[in-house]
Amino acid sequence: MQDNLPFSDFGEEVVRAEGLRKTFTLSRKQQRLEHTDFPRKVALDGLSFSAQRGEIYGLLGPNGAGKTTTLRILSTLISPDAGDAFVCGHSVRKEPGKVRDVIGFMTSELKLEGFFTPSYLFDFFGAMHGVEKGALAQRKQELFARFGIDRFAEVKVSDLSTGMLQKVSLVISIVHDPAVVIFDEPTNGLDVLTAKVVIDFLLELKAMGKSILLSTHIFSLVEKLCDRVGIIIDGKMAADGKLQDVCGEMSLEDKFFAIYRSIKGDAV
Amino acid sequence: MKLIALMKKEFARFFGDYKLLITMILPGLLIYIIYSVMGSVMFGGEEEAYRLRVYVEGESAIVSTVESAASANGWETEMLSLSEAGIDEETAREQVASGEASALLVFSENFDASLGKGAAAEIVYNADDDGSAAFASLVNAALQSFSFTLTVSDLSGSGGGAQMVMAGILPMLIVIFVFSSCMSVTLESVAGEKERGTLATILVTSVRRSDIALGKVLPLSCVSLIGAASSFLGVVLSLPTLMGVSLDVAAAGVGAAGYVLLFLLILSFVPLIVAAIAAVSALSRSVKEASGYTSVLMILMMVLSLVTAFLPDIGGWVVAVPILNAVAAMQGILTGAPVVWMCLVSVAVNLAYTAVLIAVIARLLSSERVMFGK
Repeated sequence: MQDNLPFSDFGEEVVRAEGLRKTFTLSRKQQRLEHTDFPRKVALDGLSFSAQRGEIYGLLGPNGAGKTTTLRILSTLISPDAGDAFVCGHSVRKEPGKVRDVIGFMTSELKLEGFFTPSYLFDFFGAMHGVEKGALAQRKQELFARFGIDRFAEVKVSDLSTGMLQKVSLVISIVHDPAVVIFDEPTNGLDVLTAKVVIDFLLELKAMGKSILLSTHIFSLVEKLCDRVGIIIDGKMAADGKLQDVCGEMSLEDKFFAIYRSIKGDAV
Repeated sequence: MKLIALMKKEFARFFGDYKLLITMILPGLLIYIIYSVMGSVMFGGEEEAYRLRVYVEGESAIVSTVESAASANGWETEMLSLSEAGIDEETAREQVASGEASALLVFSENFDASLGKGAAAEIVYNADDDGSAAFASLVNAALQSFSFTLTVSDLSGSGGGAQMVMAGILPMLIVIFVFSSCMSVTLESVAGEKERGTLATILVTSVRRSDIALGKVLPLSCVSLIGAASSFLGVVLSLPTLMGVSLDVAAAGVGAAGYVLLFLLILSFVPLIVAAIAAVSALSRSVKEASGYTSVLMILMMVLSLVTAFLPDIGGWVVAVPILNAVAAMQGILTGAPVVWMCLVSVAVNLAYTAVLIAVIARLLSSERVMFGK
């Protein structure tokens, strides 16, 4: 298993976002749901932050704060209206292909075809990332054994349990041994057992030397996993830094609500 | 490598599911059964024994060829030269129009000697008379291998025989069957994958969008071709019954070159239809939505195909219109008068439109509004 060394070109900073701005057009139905007359919604408003090599960085914020939009920009699925972000030194605007080569992106919106087996899909996505056949076979053997997928390698994905499916999705997202792993709401909607699978997986990845960026609204997850935290409120970075520096003497939850009240007033 | 992996995945998806394969092959069988039944009803089956009186003006050894072909079909044919019958050509035409005689064959002077050098013949028949129409169809079919100009003149008041109607409808039916075949595989593969979120999983990898577009259109076209080939075979095998003649006569009517051109045309519009449905699917949010848009596309194509088929002297401009060019070209082939340049240009035009559509699909896959818009 190789780690993500060397990073000679961009030092320790694996992800750097610079003044990201993104607006979305709202349909009439969406305007009704958002209780607004404005046809556009500002999802990100000049968001900047950086994540360091070998650390887990957590983007924390309420629903609609802009966490998912940030991760989608970093994974090149969408483009920022203004600003830029760099992953391992590659611009998401100018070099989206190179960015996709060095990231593994995991979100509940990305699904695996139920008709195929984990083994087939691992090979398929390995080919999509241009992984050489011999290396792919070795990596499959290692990862499948490590996460207990080997016994289910030839079972159709549609027949797997939720926990096993989550493991398969996680393993496939890192089929190309990416330097940076991005997870959008990694434990959202999962039962306690499957959530534990994911948390253990993230810790495993960190132990492998991977850099991880995750979004969540669960305080305990950040406290348990993250080295750094960025608190996003209304598309802006409200606080960013090492977990203990951001929280000081307070718990993360208390600190978050203190920041939230200072921005939004008492509207909690 | 990435393109090959994408294509292999599409093939694995379809060839690994026998139910999908059956749905591909079934239409051909249905066409064969339905058309054969239709043909039997219209012509009373192949065993119909007509009693025909045919006048002949001019001389040619072809007369005996036609006579043998007619008797091989079990028809009793009386071939009379105009001098034997003691009538002139005008009277013979009147008798054909009134149904007293079945047909009139007119050969140019020194016909046999000038074969391939400007020889011309005319068959005058009456499409309202089943025997006369069947005879005209047989002459048309049996004389395909001879190189001369054959003019077919219908003296009926209805303006066209059953065969002509069939030659008009068949290309449209072929397009519809091919369209259905393409629709069933493409909607599932593109709109289905988009709806289920499995397409987005591929978009996160470093594979080029153009490879994804090609990786869909090429294998889906191959899979659709199975359905198309099945429908094509169904049409070819049921054609004799539809035309009221035997299989060898019908096959000679279209000719080996005709079948090759027919298949080339199908080969050219299958990827075009797949690409069009794939583009619509990429634009849609769900299979249901894509299916709705595609149905409109199919109805539009049916109407335009019908118009193309029944518009006399449509003109060469039709080759610039995708699919419709194939309909017009196929009509020519099925009436025994293929226009080779039209067929080949249609194939090239359809493939060019396919390339444009593949580029459009690649753009759509890159568009965040299309792929991730709510």
